[in-house]
Formats: sequence, C-alpha cells, structure tokens
Amino acid sequence: MTNGWVDIKNADVILCMGGNPAENHPCGFKWAIEAKKTRNAKIVVVDPRLTRTGAVADLYSPIRVGTDIAYLLGIIRYAIDQKRFHEDYVKIHTNAPYIVGEKFGFQDGLFTGFDEAKHTYDKTAWGYEANPKTKTYSVDPTLEDPRCVFQLLKKHVDRYTPEMVERICGTPKDTFLKVAEAVTSTGNAQRVGTIMYALGWTQHSVGVQMIRTAAMLQLLLGNVGRPGGGVNALRGHSNIQGATDTAGVFDVLPGYLKTPPAGAQTLKEYLEGATPATLGKQAWPSMNYWQNYPKFMASLLKGLYGKAATKENEFGYSWLPKIDGNYSWMYIFDDMYRGSSMRAGGKEPGPEGLMTFGMNPVGIGPNVKKMIGAHSKLKWLVVVENHEIETAAFWKAPQEYGGADPSKIQTEVFLLPASNFAEKDGSFTNSARWIQWKWKALDPPGQAKVDQEILARIFLAVRDLYRKEGGAFPEAIANVSWAYTNPAVPDLSEILKELNGKALADIPDPKDKTKVLKAAGQQLDGFAQLQDDGTTMCGNWLMSGAFTEAGNMTQRRNNADPTGLGMFHQWSFSWPANRRVMYNRASADKDGNPWDATRVGIKWNGEKWVGDVPDMKPDAPPGTFGAFIMLPEGVGRLFAPVLNDGPFPEHYEALEPACDNVLHPKVTSNPAVAKFKSDLDVYGARDKFPIICTTYRVTEMYHYWTQHLPRLNMLQPGQFVEIPEELAKEKGIVNGAKVKVTSARGSLEGVAMVTKRLKPAHADGKAIWQIGFPLHWGFTGEKGHQGTLANMLTPTAVDPNTWTPEYKSFLVTLEKA
Amino acid sequence: MSKVVRQIGFDEGAYVAREKEDVLVGNEIIRHRLSSRVIHWAVADTFFACLFTGLPVWTPVFGWMGTLVGGLSVCRLVHPWFGFAFALSSLAMAVHWWSEMELTKEERGWVGPKLLEYLRDATNHDKIGKYNGGQKVYFHTSGLAALGLLVSGVVMWYPTSFPAWAREIAVLLHNISFILFAVSLVFHIYLATVAEPGTFNSMMRGTVSKAWARIHHPKWYREIMGLEK
Amino acid sequence: MSVQNSFEVVRSSAQVWGSGSSLRSLPAVSKLVDTSTCIGCKACEVACQEWNDLQVVSTEQRGTYQTMPTLDPSFWNLIRFDEHEVDGGIKWLMRKDQCMHCADPGCLEACPAPGALVQYANGIVDVNPAQCIGCGYCATGCPFDVPRFSAKTGKMSKCTLCVDRVAVGLEPACIKSCPTGCLHFGTKEEMVALGNQRVSQLKAQGYAQAALYDPQGVGGTGVVTVLAFGDHPEWYGALPRAPRVPMAVTLWKKWLRPIGFLAIFGAIVGAFGHHLYHGNKGHLDPGPVGPDEKG
Repeated sequence: MTNGWVDIKNADVILCMGGNPAENHPCGFKWAIEAKKTRNAKIVVVDPRLTRTGAVADLYSPIRVGTDIAYLLGIIRYAIDQKRFHEDYVKIHTNAPYIVGEKFGFQDGLFTGFDEAKHTYDKTAWGYEANPKTKTYSVDPTLEDPRCVFQLLKKHVDRYTPEMVERICGTPKDTFLKVAEAVTSTGNAQRVGTIMYALGWTQHSVGVQMIRTAAMLQLLLGNVGRPGGGVNALRGHSNIQGATDTAGVFDVLPGYLKTPPAGAQTLKEYLEGATPATLGKQAWPSMNYWQNYPKFMASLLKGLYGKAATKENEFGYSWLPKIDGNYSWMYIFDDMYRGSSMRAGGKEPGPEGLMTFGMNPVGIGPNVKKMIGAHSKLKWLVVVENHEIETAAFWKAPQEYGGADPSKIQTEVFLLPASNFAEKDGSFTNSARWIQWKWKALDPPGQAKVDQEILARIFLAVRDLYRKEGGAFPEAIANVSWAYTNPAVPDLSEILKELNGKALADIPDPKDKTKVLKAAGQQLDGFAQLQDDGTTMCGNWLMSGAFTEAGNMTQRRNNADPTGLGMFHQWSFSWPANRRVMYNRASADKDGNPWDATRVGIKWNGEKWVGDVPDMKPDAPPGTFGAFIMLPEGVGRLFAPVLNDGPFPEHYEALEPACDNVLHPKVTSNPAVAKFKSDLDVYGARDKFPIICTTYRVTEMYHYWTQHLPRLNMLQPGQFVEIPEELAKEKGIVNGAKVKVTSARGSLEGVAMVTKRLKPAHADGKAIWQIGFPLHWGFTGEKGHQGTLANMLTPTAVDPNTWTPEYKSFLVTLEKA
Repeated sequence: MSKVVRQIGFDEGAYVAREKEDVLVGNEIIRHRLSSRVIHWAVADTFFACLFTGLPVWTPVFGWMGTLVGGLSVCRLVHPWFGFAFALSSLAMAVHWWSEMELTKEERGWVGPKLLEYLRDATNHDKIGKYNGGQKVYFHTSGLAALGLLVSGVVMWYPTSFPAWAREIAVLLHNISFILFAVSLVFHIYLATVAEPGTFNSMMRGTVSKAWARIHHPKWYREIMGLEK
Repeated sequence: MSVQNSFEVVRSSAQVWGSGSSLRSLPAVSKLVDTSTCIGCKACEVACQEWNDLQVVSTEQRGTYQTMPTLDPSFWNLIRFDEHEVDGGIKWLMRKDQCMHCADPGCLEACPAPGALVQYANGIVDVNPAQCIGCGYCATGCPFDVPRFSAKTGKMSKCTLCVDRVAVGLEPACIKSCPTGCLHFGTKEEMVALGNQRVSQLKAQGYAQAALYDPQGVGGTGVVTVLAFGDHPEWYGALPRAPRVPMAVTLWKKWLRPIGFLAIFGAIVGAFGHHLYHGNKGHLDPGPVGPDEKG
C-alpha cells in the first residue's frame, strides 16, 4: 500500500478492482465502509463476478477476466479526453513533460526493441531524450511536444474508446462510462480517490502492467501521495508484506536491495550497477534517495557477517551468493521436474532437496501434476508445518494428480511440527506497512517448535559441519554473524534490533562533527544514520527505526490521532521512517500548500514540512526536490522505461487466450512471456476449451490451511463452481449438482453454484462464458471436506516481471459430473 | 323374548354380563357386557390421564396437576403417549358401538331442542331404544373430538417435523377438540351419575334394573322383555 | 444460557399473575443490523458459536454461500444470502438472521412452561433451559421462525442477545466481531436513531424505498434492520413483511383458553344447578308394571 488501511476512510471514491477486499480483507474493508458512511464515498467495483465486495458497491461493473488494462486505459483516455485529470499535479509531480527518445515506438502490439527469439525487449530503446551537453533531460512544461510523455500517452490510449472497452472487456458502454465518470471525479484538487487491488491483478501474465496502469491513472488524477488516495495492494497473508520486505524473492535482498548478479564480482562493481544516477529534471532535481544505496548495502553486509566483514574484504561481499539466471520459484520447480538446471547450459543437475516453511508448493503451484512430478525427483524434503499438508503428503497423492506408486518415490520426507502464529511472539507487517508486534497467546502443542529454533538449529549444525569438514566454500556459512543470547532459539526482538541496526563505532553528527550522533553500540534512530564505511550495521534499512534506543517501536499502541486522518503515528511503526502515506510530498502543490486543506498530507510551514512524516528532506523548501524521491527523475512515472514488457501498458489476452486480441490479432498474448517447455507444460486451445475460468479465495477459508479446521469447514464445507445461470441452463446443470471442470492440465469436481452474479462475458461482441471456483481444498484436510486442488487446472504461465503465475485466467470445459 | 339362565347360586348377573348384554337375568337387564365396559373405561381412564397431564400445559392455573405427576416436562413426555392410548381406545369404542349409534332422522334434533327438552324432563320417552339421541350425539361428538385431538396431537408431538401453518392449525384444533370433549363430558358424567341413579352401575356391573330400563329406554326394555316385534 | 435475576424480569412465560415487579426500569436495548454494509463475512456466526460454546454443525455445500439452510439448535446466528435482479442489475443481499427479541414475543406468549422464556426489563428475551419442556410451542409462536428444538437435549435454544455479556456491560459477541461495523449495539432509542440516519443516507443515494425494519406488529424488535429495499423485506432471507404473533397463538391464549375455561366450568355449574332444580330422574319406581310386562 502506498497509503494505509485506515487512510481508505479519507477517500471520496474507492475503486476495488483486481481484488475482493470485502471477502479477503474484511477487517481492512471496514475503512471503505467508514468512508461510505461518513463522507458518502462511492465504492466502485469492477469484477467479472459480483462478489461480496460488489454486494456493498455503489456501482458495480462486470468485466471479462483479465482485460483490466483495456478498462483502465479506457478510463485514462476518458480522463484526458474529458479533461478530468489533475493538470497542475500532473505537470509538477509526474514525468508527463519528459521528452522520450526517438527510438521509442509502438506498432501492432509491440514496442520497439523486441527480440522475438528471446521474448525480451531492449529497454534502452525507450530512454528519455537527453541533452548530451548538459546531461539533463529534455522536458516540455506545456505538455505539447508530440514526444513528451503526456502526448505519447494520449496517443497510446487513444485506441481505448468506450466502444473499444466494450468490445474487449464486454462491459456495457453505459456502465463503463458511469465508472469512468465516478473514478475521474477525483481528477482535481478537491476530491481524492483510492484503488484497492490484490491478486486479481498480480496473477496474470500482464499482472505488473495492470498495476502500473492503475498507478498511471492515479498519477493522472493527482491521487498519489494524498491522504485518501494511492494505489493500495491488499496483501493476502498476515505477514506477506514483512516477508517481501525481508528478501521474499530471489532477486532482492532485505529492503529491496538487489541480489548481486553473477557479473558483479566486487562490491564496487555491484554498487556502480545498483546505485542510480540522478537525472536532471524539468524544474527541480531529484533527491534520488537511492544514492544512499552503498550505506544500506554496507550496513547489511555488516549485519550479515559482523566482525568478519571488513573494509578490506569489501564487508564480505564475495560471500554473498550471486545469481546467474532466474531462480524464481516457478523456475526452481521447473528445474526440479526436469532434473537439470536451465542455467549454465542445462549442465547442472536440478535441486535435490527442499525445505518449505509456511508454504505448500504442491497446493499453491500452478499445474499440480508438474509440482508433484517435481517433488518426486527430490532426494529429501523438509516440511515445517502445523498440519500434514499436501506437500508433506505428495508421495501419497491420489492417482488423478499424476501421483506415482508411493513405493516408487524415493524422496525422504521430514514433517517438522511448527508452532503457528498465535504460538510465538514476533511482528506482522500489514498491507499498510505497519510493523506490529504481537505476543504469544499460548504454547505450541506437543513437540512443535518455533520457526527460528528450527532454522537456528539447522544452521548451527550445518555450520559445525563446515567448520569440521571444510567443504567447497565454508566462508559463506562460517562467517555469518550469530550473536544471539540463545543461539539455538534466537529471540525475535533481538532479530528486530538487528534489522533496525546499530552504531558499531561512534557516529559523528554531520552538522557538528565534534558531537557524537550515536555512540558505538547504540541502536540507530533510522536509516538516515546509516554509513557506508562499516561503522553501522542494519539488517534491513527500511525497518530502521523499528527498534531504537527508545525501545521496540512496533509495540507502541497509542491511538492518538492529531491529524484526524487516522495516521496514528504512535501506533506501531510504519516503514519507511514511520511514514504513513508514501510520496506525501505530492499531497501539496508547488508551493507546499495542500491540494485539499481538509486532507493535509504534509505542508510547508515556512521552515519545515509538517503533518505526516515527510517523504522529503524535512527542511528542504518547496522547489528543492521532486516529490518522488526514490526515482532518479524525482517525479512519478506515467511512462516507465524499466519494465520487461513495455514502458506503457497494453492490452494482451491471457496466455491461454479465449479470443484473438482485438487490437492486434498477431500479438494476442504478452509477447514478453516465454512459455515453459516440459512435457507437462501443456496449454489449452479455445476450440477445445472454450470457457474462461478464474480462481479465488473465500472469506471463510484461509488459503490451503483451514480445510483442516472443523469450524471453518462448517462455514464453507467444500469445493463449488460458480456458473452463470445461462450457462447452467445450456448445460442442463442445476444448482447443487456435481460438475466437473477440465483444463488442458487436469480436472476438478465441485458442487454447481448457479448464480445471477456471473454473466456471460463478451469479446468483440461474441458471448464467452466465464466460470470460477475457490482454491481452498486439497487431498488433505478434515475428513469429508477434502477436494481437488484448484491448481490442477492452472497453467505454468508467468508474468515477465515478477514471475507470478497466471492463476486468474485459463481455459476450461464444463460438464455434469 | 326372554331368556332363562340357570341359577347357580352366585352373582349370575355379573357372570352373564361378562359375555352377553341385552338379556334379562333375574330382575336385572344386562346393558353393557364386559368388553363394552372395558373399552369405555379405557377411553375414560386414558382421557383423564391426558387431562391431568394436559391441563397444566394448557394453563398455569392447573400447574399443580403437573407437580402431581413430576413436573411439566413429565407431562410433555407422557401426555402424547396417553393421548396415543386414548386415541386407540376411542377407535375401539367407535368400532364397538358404531352400529348401535346410527342417528335416525328424528334423533338429529338431539343436538339442540331435544336435548333441552330432555333436561327439562319433557321428553316423550316412549320411542327411546337402547340409546337415546343424546347419547348417540355424545358418541359422535366425542369420537370427532378424539379424532381432532389425535390429528392435532401428532403434529404437536413432533413440532419440528411440521410446517408452521400445520402447527398453528394443530394448536387451534387441539384446543377446540378438547373444549368440545370436556364440555360434553361434564354432561355425560352428570347424567350418568347424579342425575340418573342406576346409570353408573350399568357401566360398572353392567346391569340395570327393569325399572331403570323402562323409564329411560322403554323401547329397549320392551325388546328385552319380548313385548315388541 | 440464562442468567435470570441479573436483570429485572418483566414478562415470563406461563404465569397466572404476572412476573416482574416492574419497579426497576432499564432502557430497552437493541442491535442494529445494517444490511447495506454487511459483507457476509460470517464473523458473527463464528463469534456466536464460540462465545456460546456451541458445537460444530455438520454442513454440506449445496450451491450457496449460506452456511446452512436455516438456524439450528447449535447455530443461532445465520447470514442469509439472496440474489435479486433489480432494474436489470444484480443485488446480492445478506441479512443476519437471529432472534429478533420482539417487544411482544410470540414465543413467550405461546410457551406453557413457567419461566422457560423470560423478557427482561431491557427487552432481552431469554431462555431458561431448566424450565423448558421442549414442547416447541415457542416455534409456533414465533413469526420469524427462530426457536430451534434440539432432539439431543430436548430443549429449545436460540440467541439470548448474549445476555451474559450484556449483564456485565459488554456488547453481544456478534457485534464485537463485526469487522465492517454494520452491527451496532446500544439502547433501542440510539439504534433507531442510527438506523434512521443510515436510511436517510441510503435514500439520498438513490434507494428511495430504504427503510428501518422495526415491525410494530410484534411491538417492535430488539434487532432493528436497515434495508435498502425496505419495500421488499422478503428479499432478505424471507423476512416477513408484517410479522405478528400467529393468530393461532393469540386465539388460543386470549380467546379459546378463557372460553374453554368458562364452558367447562359453566357445564359443571349448570349440571349442579340442574340437579338442584330437577333432582333425580326416575328416583321413584315408575309405578305398577304395565300389562305388557310379564315380570
């Protein structure tokens, strides 16, 4: 979330799209209801299905599964066309005035620089136009230059007329226009709108671009950085935000530092590649906060390797693993299944062992047959869990999962009983980036252990082995700093202290070098105190400030709210720097006055910025720096020449397309997506599988876990398939009857839920059926409440930026079971 | 036609009344044979069992009756079973007496004016056979009420198995049937005991005196005595 | 779960002579259910079960989001889901079904067991299982089809408005658990005011028929419900349009019982009088045996 849960109450228009907050984030959704009740905010829901969010919407619009980009670009076009965007904001806070280089172009569904064989773009073709003499970039403050971002955007979205939106998305033009009108009613200083989205956008082969379109729309409407605005990702697990912030994926280190690439063999090389250069800007230069990258990295390395990390050995940089290819989890399991690594020319063997904590890859991976096939190749598997989940039981999976005879599977499986969230102390980072400490409610049952004990004891045993036996590269393990009071069970507050960071030597005050800002050994106040010379350590610069000398800030529970906007600065700790609304400099105009005096993000009082914790140098007067301090441009990007599949979003069909792309039939799906090629990676054609299918969660269940809990099974007893009334009639299916859904990869049985809430979709005027089912059941779980894993049907197709699988759109057939 | 029964020195009337009725034994006429009496008392006893377990449920005024049998929940438990027994007895009664209880055209007046006439002692008894119109009407009334009690009682016994409308009708029907039964029962008991001496004995010992028969059921009397037809 | 005596009882089932002293007074309490902001998350269902220590009920998927077809002896709070087409659009309506705590409770009226159902001065209608005889009359008396008879315990059960929580100053469990704030608890007066405020807001947003459901046929209810389609309460899980204590129960208690009483005693008195006036019939020998008699 750029903003926060509570902040939703400040919105005038709440667009719920690509998410179902009422069902999947009911506690946070209270703030949408609050806005509705206290300020007559309009809740607009765009979803293929009328969900429980749709049930309380003021305006509901159907849409064909996966066509959100077309819909949003349609709204952008409408905003520009009807002049319903926040022009003053756009001119100072976005890259609309930037002139794009001449190499950029777009034709027939492809941007310039496409390499068809590799499915990749050469992104340098999309660069801004730089003046070679001044090394600054050209801008046109009037937004009239035909190659300025604004004009290029206008041209790009020109095709997305309301009629085209209706052709692509199947949304009746009238309904679309109502939504466009409501959403763009916030394209001014007086009103603010927010967007709530979740995996309904993320899990597409164009997922990142969907989210980008939303960000562009919000920038255009002047809603980013303002209380009640923003682009708000609703995280689907209690601490998935914390996991993401702490190196949740292979290509980032804690705090979104980059995992070193194989090419960067020295810290110097690495830092040169990772630290962005400041770009000259329209009026104000960028603060380019990432120029502090070396401080964050040096402090991280000091945190990892402690005393072993010295200036001389580049703080142990050489011990960090480097990546030589895509180690995203879909690729790991692909390697595992094929038994060889795609990297290094396929010469290396695939993984032979797997440890999973709080994750159920057999359940959550697309194309379960392939996942089970992959697991069957393992020599050993460690599952740390509360229940015997599908992954732990993969070796006895039913026949239809492609499960082999258990006696033929050689994998040794260890199921370690873990404590659950209520059985341990620690922190949750919520969608609003609030790191909130929580206390243990009860002891773990039986022999269950807390995760950190399991990890620590394995680590200590492995380190002992390295110490005793040496091995190929013992330093990487042997040098890890492990200075916990109880090394076998590190206290999580000690971990949090480590993440916050401390001074390793006296840190002089930059304003007065005679003074000491922080004495050696003291906890740091925030990331501004980090040093690049090894005198500070910090496990995650973003979390710096969470555990200072004043104590554990995540335990704070003071609900004072002087702003009246629900910022609650003394409640827990919000990264970064306890800031509640990111990019809040954009909530004020060029002079530092708030766009809307009733919803002040921050404002300039003549001396400093006041209000929220400013996303700006606190004493830098308006006009010193651009509002988007993390970007080298210093302004929000309407044009993002950094994504792998284009600087502008474009409508592409799913990887299993239900129809041709109306805009460019030759480039139907995202061209930057490469398909997987194992024998189990099969994709269905629309003549055989004519129905679009999508998957989702329901309120009553939590992922693949709660089917083990009787009371929740009572609320949602088993698998169902939501089917439009018209389709059910055509197929002779009655409500409550058993049906079977089949994709190219597998099939699933469930109870038919015949509903008015799903209507036939349309593409290019032709009706296309859409159905959907939730994903909570599997072959383990309480007796009588088992079912087929939903991912039996989903394809191994991934977004080219995040490598998130396309769970939300695939093709199936439907029949009576 | 009279029948002469062998004198053997014991209560011959009671002996004969075990199996036969409508016969003269000495100076007595046997009015109700044993089976008739057993059926009658089965109906009566089960009704009173129902009454004592039903009244406290009907109104808290009779709550003390519930206490006698061990509380209201015992009433709730046993009342339906007594009711079931009552229904069975009533069925037996209906079958047993059906042929004798056919109302003639003239007797239909017993539902109203003739009953009052009877109570005023103004009835011409001459044509009254074994049962007068009032008795026949009572038979049908109580039978009908018993049926009503049975049907509604089943619904009330298993309330969860029936829809609301059925339960509502059942409550009303049970009430109405009971009131009907109870009011007519008061008259029945009064007439059969205090009002008409000698009557009660017919249902206990089974016999009546000739005089009783001649006063209350002259036609029947004449038939027994062989004075008619 | 009865905690009688913690509140003044103003009405109790099957009493001949009233029940409460009515000397102590309490403001009536009420829940407010705002269906227009209910997201059907069922948190209230779980909270109800957990607070009241109710057992898991076996259910099966039947093609609906609704947990079970209807209330159960162990399930006192059920969100009912209904789909309706209104002006070409789809409305998915959700309503929290539970005991309405009527001001004139039909269940209490129908109940024959003294003290099995009581109404406290604050309007809560509570069950006392110790007194309940499991006759099921309360179900017949209820216009909302709420009381449930458990074959296992032989007792009726229903929502008690968490009287044990209210008695110690807490809100009912369902209210506590509601994430969106579509449920509120307070005095009836406050809830009606809050409800009416939402109704006017809904009206301003185009729901001209919005209304607060507080049916006067049962004297008003201790659960008032905001309906966007106030002209169609039946769209919300068959909420009755004009609920009343069923005619049968009223007829029985108010008319048939006294009439029956009078009739039976009238008959007894009549018989007595008849005897005093007319005496025995045939107390004397009818006279000489006629010629038709042989002896």
